[in-house]
Amino acid sequence: MAPIAIADTGFCIMGLDRPRHGFLNWIKPQGLSWFNQRLRFIGLMLCCLGIVVSARLVWSQQPIHLTMLTSALDAAQGKSLVAAFEAENPGIKIDVIEGPNASNLIEDLYTSAFLLGGSPYDLVMMDVVWLPKFAAAGWLLDLTDRIPAADLADFMAADLAGGRYNGRLYRLPVRSDVQLLYYRQDWLQQVGIQPPETFADLVAAAQLLQSAGIARWGYVWQGRQFEGLAAVFVDILAGHGGFWVNPDNLEVGLDRSEAIQALQFLRNTIGVGISPPGVTNYQHEDARRLFQGGEVAFMHNWPYAYPLSNAADSPVQGKFNIRLMVHEPGLASAACLGGWGIGIAKTTAHPEAALKAAQFYASPAGQKRSILDNGYLPTRRSLYADPEVLARYPYFANLMPVVENAVLRPPIAQYAQASDILQRYLSAAITDRMTPEAALQAAATETRALLGRSTNPLSAAEPIDPVQEVS
Amino acid sequence: MRQDSLRQREQRTGWWLVAPALLFLILIYAYPIARSIGLSLFSQNLGTELQPVFTGLSNYSRMAVDGRFWQSLGNTTLFTVLSVLLELLLGLGIALVLNRSFRGRGVVRTIALLPWALPTALIATTWTWIFNDQFGVWNDLLLRLGLIQTGVNWLGDPNWALWTVIAADVWKTTPFIAILLLAGLQSIPADLYEAHAIDGATAWQSFWQITLPLLLPQILIASLFRFAQAFGIFDLIQVMTGGGPGGATETVSIYIYATIMRYLDFGYGAALVVVTFVILSLAVALAAWGLTRLRAAHNLGDSR
Amino acid sequence: MTQLSPRQSSRSPSSRSNRRAQVVWMQRLGFGLAIGAIVGFSLAPILWQVLTSVKTTADIAAIPNVYLPRQFTAEHYLEIFRRQPFFNYMLNSFLVASLSTLLCLAIGTPAAYALARLRLPGESALLAGVLIVTLFPYILLFLGLLELVRMFGLANHYLALIVPYTAINLPLTILVMRSFFQQLPRDLEDSAKVDGYNTLQMLWQILLPLTLPALVTTGILAFIAAWNEFIFALTFITRESMKTIPVAVAQLSGTAVFEIPYGALAAATVVGTLPLVVLVLLFQRRIVQGLTAGAVKG
Repeated sequence: MAPIAIADTGFCIMGLDRPRHGFLNWIKPQGLSWFNQRLRFIGLMLCCLGIVVSARLVWSQQPIHLTMLTSALDAAQGKSLVAAFEAENPGIKIDVIEGPNASNLIEDLYTSAFLLGGSPYDLVMMDVVWLPKFAAAGWLLDLTDRIPAADLADFMAADLAGGRYNGRLYRLPVRSDVQLLYYRQDWLQQVGIQPPETFADLVAAAQLLQSAGIARWGYVWQGRQFEGLAAVFVDILAGHGGFWVNPDNLEVGLDRSEAIQALQFLRNTIGVGISPPGVTNYQHEDARRLFQGGEVAFMHNWPYAYPLSNAADSPVQGKFNIRLMVHEPGLASAACLGGWGIGIAKTTAHPEAALKAAQFYASPAGQKRSILDNGYLPTRRSLYADPEVLARYPYFANLMPVVENAVLRPPIAQYAQASDILQRYLSAAITDRMTPEAALQAAATETRALLGRSTNPLSAAEPIDPVQEVS
Repeated sequence: MRQDSLRQREQRTGWWLVAPALLFLILIYAYPIARSIGLSLFSQNLGTELQPVFTGLSNYSRMAVDGRFWQSLGNTTLFTVLSVLLELLLGLGIALVLNRSFRGRGVVRTIALLPWALPTALIATTWTWIFNDQFGVWNDLLLRLGLIQTGVNWLGDPNWALWTVIAADVWKTTPFIAILLLAGLQSIPADLYEAHAIDGATAWQSFWQITLPLLLPQILIASLFRFAQAFGIFDLIQVMTGGGPGGATETVSIYIYATIMRYLDFGYGAALVVVTFVILSLAVALAAWGLTRLRAAHNLGDSR
Repeated sequence: MTQLSPRQSSRSPSSRSNRRAQVVWMQRLGFGLAIGAIVGFSLAPILWQVLTSVKTTADIAAIPNVYLPRQFTAEHYLEIFRRQPFFNYMLNSFLVASLSTLLCLAIGTPAAYALARLRLPGESALLAGVLIVTLFPYILLFLGLLELVRMFGLANHYLALIVPYTAINLPLTILVMRSFFQQLPRDLEDSAKVDGYNTLQMLWQILLPLTLPALVTTGILAFIAAWNEFIFALTFITRESMKTIPVAVAQLSGTAVFEIPYGALAAATVVGTLPLVVLVLLFQRRIVQGLTAGAVKG
């Protein structure tokens, strides 16, 4: 349609050979030529749009098609789930669009689709850290009143909290994730020590194993400038009793002494030689390969590494265990929560069908299928006690309390921006381009500017540590 | 009287002929810039639930403490200066070769033009593949020549990534400069060289004393075009590195795009647009001033 | 450094002196090497991509690299058409590029004529504006255009690309066409006026046929620019079936489950660049003319 309209306009402009009846003379006497031309243009476009829209409506008479974007990996793993849903609901089809595997690229694709309007997606498969952004932007359907409270009782509190923004529910959790400390149980027994509890324990144990010639490296983590680094820092910050951003009053805690100590610990792991110098460029797979190769005593990672490292062909099969990340004496540790959930686009033409699909993905049966196929952590308490699941993954029993007490990365609408600021300065500090103090000072200043705390005169009334105001 | 109305009618027709083009240019060029200037005085982001809130110049003061903005500006400057310089050198070399007559010149000229015409986004995937750390042919060639001992992670190493992207850009846009300079070379009359040679000058001397001075306007124009394009480089870097690793290749364009499309920070994004626009305008004004002065001096020399 | 002056190059090595013959021979060798370097520099990356696209996956991932494929395969080409709506991408690119080119010529040519001949007041300011505008990187426009697209509800609509592409090609079209009109003899227009044609009739019936070569030149440049454009296509189209080639290929990487599909990526690049390679081969001379006219005349 559009092409014809455009060609038409072009023709009018070119075909000016009859001055009396030409296109331009038609407008000229009105004295509102610019406005008219624009009206005409808009009219043409509206016609095109109308035709396109009505054609689509006619098309979508038959089965309802729900569109969802996921990574190619998730799309492949979720095929059987889609088939099961379609078999149960003959009138509904789920079209899964394969996106890139890097999850921030999926986030960007969803973002541009919703921002632009006319989004092609009905269902939104979301990482826990995207939720505040998507909800604040008004792209998600409020599920609070659509799902009976009783249906939510089975979900883990932390996972459910990750689906809320300003007290409203926008996402049903379908897959949980918590960061863990992996350790070589056999080696600790060999030198006769207990699994570490505090940061000092961890460093001492790692050094002992290295100096005894048992372990090549003590501790590996994710030091590349990406989301994984921020997540590692969240664990260590929690273990030092610090905080990043308080979502209630947008207070920034990055330049407090707890945060500085936390960053000093990370930097020290390289300095004292328990972490390889290359750790500043590691992502999750780099760490896992080293650990699985039997070269490392401790590893900071997500549970996805467990079944892989415990596979029959893994050199460390049956030799390692998991626990919460360590903490400072007298404090408690907490694990950074990850995980995925499903939401519904506000613009969907089929909210009822979409709700059915979302509930199916989050249902015990739906989750169980995906857990048994792929080893992901459930978000429902009942599944942590499910005999079939436990038979397959016995270590899930230990994980339930960890998930129950996991901490969210700051659930603020500008999380992505805040995280990128933090990652930049964490990376600068661990690669020795800045001191931890200077790095976190700068990160705190930028985060405050981002959240409008240092520029907004209203918030200046709140008591702020004078040190923090130095820019 | 009659004459005058004829002239008036001609002008009216003229305006009608110009009007559609003007409308398009205003809609696509003037409106966005004006809109950005206006929006830059507002906070409109996720913190305000995407509603515009007037905050005066706070976006600009935020820019002053934004380390990432300054890093991206530094990267952009480095990228622009290095790639334009390299392109000028290579482009001049190619133009000098193509300016001589030899059999198959048309074919070589067509081949040399090719990189310029191909889509940058696709070429970016080609270079990403060539510079792949595991299977890339560039590493393989260097290893075979014994220049490196182990493969280099060209796009993953912060020390190399910007250079790698510059290399790809130089390949892509050298033909543009070569073509402009070739046109300039062809407009230099041959008898100038002959007279110079009779005076006993060597080829090297005539290059410095004739070719280069007469080519200077073209060099300046080509640099101006390339400067503006390189300063706004987006597609090549977005596809090759996305600005990574760790912001090592993040240019101002990439940062603006992320600020708007990823962070939905429209007010701050608008302020970034305005600052980039001002920097670019200043540079262009400077170059244009240089060009006019050069032309004036040139005309003076001609009329001697 | 090879010889620089055109005079010496055209002279054959007629000197009797042995030493001089040697120098000429050396110069010829150096010159040949320079030409070889230019050809290699320009072609090598493209050739490597073509080779990659016809290698088997095993050869692509072989270490050390396999240069000449041991076995040719069309698998990657079949794959991109099987797995992705690749034909759609091509069609989208073709549609958007050709329509915006036509529209651009239709709007830009009359404007160029008016600026060349009709002595409008404020003409030089207008021309300066057009010139400056060619220097704007698209990133500066993209925020405002995003709002326009949202305001008019043009998301996932070809018009969201056709209109900006028309505009970004207008400056070049106006500059090139204007310099063309200025070269036309005025007598033609004067005699047309004597014959009673008005300006529009004359433009349409007499000048248009004459401008065809120039229209082709600018049309090719506009088509290339529109085909290659990335940032607007990336932002304003999110529906899979409506994406253009550059965006679709750029997003192809990283969408395979366990590895980056290098072979398919190479095949997609080759298919996506083929139309432009053909254009360059056919119209090399015109492209060069258009580029120099657009840049230097200003």
